Amino acid sequence: MIVETSQRTTSPELVQNIVSPLLKQPVPPMQPAMGFFTDTSICIGCKACEVACKQWNELPANEAHWSGTSYDNTRQLSATTWRHVQFIEQIGRERPQISTLPFFNNDRWLMHSDVCKHCANAPCQEACPTGAIIRTEFDTVYVQQDICNGCGYCVVACPFGVIARDEHASHTARKCTLCYDRMKDGIEPACAKACPTDSIQYGEVEQLKALARERVGLLHERGVSEARLYGVDDNMLDGGLNSFFLLLDEPAVYNLPQNPSRPSNNVVPASLWSIVTALVLSLLGIFFFSNNK
Amino acid sequence: MQQIRLPQAIVERLTPTQIAEQLATLTTGYTPDPEQELRESTYYDLPVLKAPVWHWEIIWYFFFGGLAAGCYLLASIAALFGSREDRIVARTGYYLSLLALLPCPPLLIKDLGRPERFLHMLRMFKVRSPMSMGVWAVMSFSFFSGLTTLIQAARDGLLGHARGVRWLALLPQSWLALPGSAVALLLGSYTGVLLTATSIPLWSRSKLLGGIFLTSAVSTSIALISFVLRLVRTPLGTLHKLERLEWSVLLLEMLGLLAFLRASGRAARPLVGTAPTEHGTTFWRFVFGTGLALPWLLQTLSLLTKRSPQRRFPGLLISLLVLLGGYFLRRTMVEAGHTSSQDARTTLWNAQS
Repeated sequence: MIVETSQRTTSPELVQNIVSPLLKQPVPPMQPAMGFFTDTSICIGCKACEVACKQWNELPANEAHWSGTSYDNTRQLSATTWRHVQFIEQIGRERPQISTLPFFNNDRWLMHSDVCKHCANAPCQEACPTGAIIRTEFDTVYVQQDICNGCGYCVVACPFGVIARDEHASHTARKCTLCYDRMKDGIEPACAKACPTDSIQYGEVEQLKALARERVGLLHERGVSEARLYGVDDNMLDGGLNSFFLLLDEPAVYNLPQNPSRPSNNVVPASLWSIVTALVLSLLGIFFFSNNK
Repeated sequence: MQQIRLPQAIVERLTPTQIAEQLATLTTGYTPDPEQELRESTYYDLPVLKAPVWHWEIIWYFFFGGLAAGCYLLASIAALFGSREDRIVARTGYYLSLLALLPCPPLLIKDLGRPERFLHMLRMFKVRSPMSMGVWAVMSFSFFSGLTTLIQAARDGLLGHARGVRWLALLPQSWLALPGSAVALLLGSYTGVLLTATSIPLWSRSKLLGGIFLTSAVSTSIALISFVLRLVRTPLGTLHKLERLEWSVLLLEMLGLLAFLRASGRAARPLVGTAPTEHGTTFWRFVFGTGLALPWLLQTLSLLTKRSPQRRFPGLLISLLVLLGGYFLRRTMVEAGHTSSQDARTTLWNAQS
């Protein structure tokens, strides 16, 4: 991973290596905002997205581990797993019975391919003290691997538990890049390309949002009243998500927080309380030290 | 069953765990309801959030950073507002502040995934990121603390009597005290603000952690300064001032912690509860019990009985207890944050409104 030290570097190169992270590089021209629409109503749980992502991004395989709860042995997104397919088994749901025939019962199996949400106001990017996490020209959230120093603040800032520090190889924060390298060449991300049912769709965020609203309307029309969109409207984190979902149950069923708060919104109230405390402490100190009886 | 068990519980002596559990319920205002919590949906109870990557380095940094900030603040207040006798607090405070600051940068750098890239922190000045602000606070505090202590050392004759040293001793130390104290207040409180600006329910639900860490920074600093002053000959009036200040700051810290627990409610369970993964027994014993309530009571007694503050025994004990409590406050708060991040149900509950 760290090749700079193994090769002999001349002194001008060395100076350049030290100085380059401090310089501002020219910004590429802005492109339309790109994102994912993950429609869980047509996900079949084939995990092709997981595999395609690992292959394209050259991510190591997970350690074999039986979860013992479902066909989901990946269990969570991590520094080296950027797509994760959940299997939610709902047996004996309480719901008006449609028919007594066995194939019309209420049991169902929800599948959901989870991924980085590329939030419009990304808490990881707001927290990052090095500026390693940036918004690209496609309005996606991207971690510059040569800048990140692995401080770990983004890990606790993310309300979805997406970004993680790679403790085995790079020791930096890593997550879905929305296949930034492929996007630059105008190709769709590996997971969307591999998805056989088009449950994962890639495109311009505004068009995808219109598509998502149309899809949920169609499902409601056909009686799937529990279908709902997650992260499409601007309420989520004060600006919506660029990678959003169509869910068939409450977000909590998919381990998604219903209405997470934006950590950076806590800075002002927490600072105000600190200032109040600072004033009280200083006044106490001044009072007791100037009191000479 | 309920009717038979209730009188027994009163007759039987409560175990420490039961006492901690009752305190947890009382202070958070939340009675755990396992049946209700089991009905809440999650995905096989897998955590919603990632666990923090911060461990012992950060705990010790919070402790020493607090001492550095608090000692500087107290020394400046004593220098600007105290009597001639109180100058000893300023001298001791400035030296202790620099000493406590020394381990901070190594701890912070070691904690990084890529320590050799620590300078990348200085690429940015980001007001909305408390960690960026903290980096600049540590940097500028190092300047103020270093220069103030250097002037102090020159005046105390520790640096010899060369011309440069005499010139250094003439610099106006009190001019540095005011901006230095402002930066010290930032250094003492930003760590709590940093934890508040995360998604971890325990750290972020109440917005009071910055104030609590700052109060603890001052209470542990008073303890450290008075510990050192009790070992040397110190004017009684000065010790008495420190004792009364310690008494009121400890009271403020206890009230702050109680407000934190009440405002956090269910999210505070990892800190005060007694389940195997929760840290309540440590918290009630070492943070609230012997770290705050006991030294405060001892201080009350010694102030009420008006015994000579020169007597070393209760004073030294109070200092040690407060320092131990301050360390355990940081430790339980960080470790309970790890527990809090792994609790999917409380995380989802916390994100409802």
